[in-house]
Amino acid sequence: MKKTINIPLGSQHISLLEPVRFKFECENEKIISVDSDVGFVHRGIERACTTKFKFDAIGYVVARVCGLCAITHSLSYTAAVEKLLGGEITKKAKYLRILLLELDRIHSHMLCLSHTCENAGFEAMFMRIMGDRELVMEIQELLTGNRVQFDYINIGGVNRDINSEVAKKIIENLYEVKQRVLGYMDEFTNNWSLSLKFKGIGALSLDDAYSFNAIGPLARASGLNIDVRNEIDYLPFNEIGFKMQTQFEGDINARNIVRLNEIFNSILMCENIVNGLPEGEIFTKLKGKPNGEAIVRFEAPRGELMYYVKGNGSAMLERVRIKTPTFACIPAFTHIFVGENYADAPAILASFDPCLSCTAK
Amino acid sequence: MLTSLIKAFTNLFKKPQTIDYPVTPIIKDREYRGLIEYGEESCIYCLKCEKACPPGAILFVKTETPSENEKNKKGLQYHYNPYLCIYCSECVRACPKPDEALWQSNKKPLPATKEGKVNESWFELEKLKKTE
Ligand code: SF4
Ligand code: SF4
Repeated sequence: MKKTINIPLGSQHISLLEPVRFKFECENEKIISVDSDVGFVHRGIERACTTKFKFDAIGYVVARVCGLCAITHSLSYTAAVEKLLGGEITKKAKYLRILLLELDRIHSHMLCLSHTCENAGFEAMFMRIMGDRELVMEIQELLTGNRVQFDYINIGGVNRDINSEVAKKIIENLYEVKQRVLGYMDEFTNNWSLSLKFKGIGALSLDDAYSFNAIGPLARASGLNIDVRNEIDYLPFNEIGFKMQTQFEGDINARNIVRLNEIFNSILMCENIVNGLPEGEIFTKLKGKPNGEAIVRFEAPRGELMYYVKGNGSAMLERVRIKTPTFACIPAFTHIFVGENYADAPAILASFDPCLSCTAK
Repeated sequence: MLTSLIKAFTNLFKKPQTIDYPVTPIIKDREYRGLIEYGEESCIYCLKCEKACPPGAILFVKTETPSENEKNKKGLQYHYNPYLCIYCSECVRACPKPDEALWQSNKKPLPATKEGKVNESWFELEKLKKTE
C-alpha cells in the first residue's frame, strides 16, 4: 500500500493570494517532496513589449507587471534604456527615484508582514498593519498622483517635482510609521503566535541559501550578504544611508525581523533624501533610439530584479526579458518545504512573500 | 493582560479606520492624476499627444463637420477614451500648449456601462483611423 498522500496547495487556496500550485507529497503530517507550478496567469507582457509598444511607452507597460513593485519595474526598464541612449540624469531625479523605491519597499514589506500575521491566525494584527500601511500609501499618492500605478519614472528623469507641503507630509507620516513599526517589532519578537511559533519553522541554512540561489529578504534572513543596492553604483544608495540587514536563523521569524529592520532603514533613507534633496532639474531630455544590449539589476522588495533589453536602433525593441525575484527563489522555496509539517505550509509560504503576478508575466 | 484589556475596552469607542463611503466622500488630492481635458480653441492640431499616448487613448479622426479652428486643416476631430487612458500625462508633457489645449484634471471617469457602448464606439474609431 502507498504510504504517502498527495495534497495540492493551490492554484486556488484560501491562504494563497495568487495562483501558484505546490503539490506536496506527505507522509502523515510531514512533507517529503514538493512539486511547484507557476504560470497560471501568463499575460504575454514581454511579447507585447516587442510587438505592440514603442520603446518610450514600455516604461508604462512594465509598470503593470506588478502592482506592488511597479516602481522597480519601470525603474529597471528606464535605467536599461538610459544606458543604451547614453545619457546622464540629474542627481535630484536620482534621489527622487530612490525615495519612491524605498517608500514602495516599506509598504510592500508591511503587506507581507500583515499576511504573515493573517496566516498565523492573527487577524487583528493583520488589520492593524494594513491600516498603518495607508500612511505610506497616502504619501505615495501625494507624491505621484496615484495610489498604485505611480507612472512616476520616465526616460530621462521623473515626472513630478516634490514641493515643500508634500515634503513636510512625508516626514510627518514617516515619523508616525516609524512609531508603529517599533510597536510591531515588539509584537514580532515577544508575541507567542508571531515569534515563538515561528522560530525554527521553515528554516533555510546559509549553505542552502547559497546553493539554491536565494535572493532578497529570504537570503538575508539566512545570513547571506546579498543586496543589489550594495552592488550597483547607478543610484547612490550608500550615500544616503543604506545598511545591509541580515539575520542568521533563516526561519520565518528571522525573515520577519529582516523585513522590519529594512523598513527602519528605508524610512531613514527617505528622511535623508527629503531633508537633503539636491537642487536641480528633474528631467533631462535624452535623444536617439536604443541600440545594443543592456542589463540592469535592481533590488525589488522581494529580491533582485533583472532586465535585459536589446534594441536595434528603431523604435521597436528586439527583446525585453524580465527576471523576477520570486521566480529565482522557487528552488529555495521548494527545498524549504521538505521536512516541515503540512500545517505550517501556509505560514511558510506567506513568509516568502511570493509575487506571482511578477513571476507569470 | 491589563493593558490589553484596557486597550480592548477603549477600542470599542474609537472611530473606525474606514470611511462611510458614499455618505462621506473620499477626499481627493488636488494633484491627483485624473481625466485629461481638452480645449479645442487653443489646439494647433500638431497630433503630438496622439503619438505620445502609450495605450492610444487619444485619436484624431476625420469628421464631416470639422471645427472652426483654422489650424484644423485636415478636418480632424479629437476623441478621448477615459477607460483606455492610464492617466500617465505623457500627452500633456508632449503638448506644445499645455494648460490651454490639453491638461490633466483630478476628476475620475464615470463607471462604464453596457448602454454607453464604450468599446464598440471606440473600436469603430480605431478602424476609421486605420483606413485613413
Ligand atoms: S494621460 Fe497618458 S494614457 Fe491618458 S491620454 Fe494622456 S498619454 Fe494617453
Ligand atoms: S499636442 Fe496639444 S496642440 Fe497638439 S494636437 Fe494634441 S492637444 Fe492639440
